[in-house]
Amino acid sequence: MAWISLIVAGLCETIGVIMINEFNKKRNWQSLSLLILGFGSSFLFLTFALSTLPMGTAYAIWTGIGATGGAVVGMIFYGESKDWKRITCIAIIISAVIGLKLISS
Amino acid sequence: MNKHWMKVFVGAFFEVLWVIGLKHSDGFLDWIGTIIAITISFYFLILAGKSLPVGTMYIVFVGLGTAGTVLSEIVIFNESFDLVKIALILLLLFGVIGLKILTKEDDQVEKGAVS
Repeated sequence: MAWISLIVAGLCETIGVIMINEFNKKRNWQSLSLLILGFGSSFLFLTFALSTLPMGTAYAIWTGIGATGGAVVGMIFYGESKDWKRITCIAIIISAVIGLKLISS
Repeated sequence: MNKHWMKVFVGAFFEVLWVIGLKHSDGFLDWIGTIIAITISFYFLILAGKSLPVGTMYIVFVGLGTAGTVLSEIVIFNESFDLVKIALILLLLFGVIGLKILTKEDDQVEKGAVS
């Protein structure tokens, strides 16, 4: 259950990132509430996962899914650049973040 | 430094504050401060998302937030200092600077995808 909860938390974070896009396009209450709901529920699922999983691992996977998901959705659905140099930089940042979360638990 | 990226950096700065807040708050005022920091940080995140590609700037936001949190844990809360942490932070900054240079800073994100 904790692992599923952790993955759901990561996906909710991705939804939150998508809603930043939507909110900036439409400026309506639906996207703002989904934005808050996305990040809020992401946090709740993470807290639940943290009750059994080791903190460093859980944080690393959570950020990994959320940030990668946001970038991938941005490239596929929102026309963000797929330039390999940018993807390399994104991969470097995500790896460094995962590394930092793993060792500083 | 471009003003749109400035918003991401301000957002990340407040992210560091609220991450510290979540970890160390032990009173009503601490929690109020933490909630205010969360609000400000997301406000700047949304603002930056108007002019920068959201996926990219979110990664920069998360990256700088993590680096800032690890550094402040070392400086303020006497967490262990080790070279691996510093190396990872430098690697992370390298990625952030790279992304900043490579990302088109115009107001229409869609146009950036064509080039």
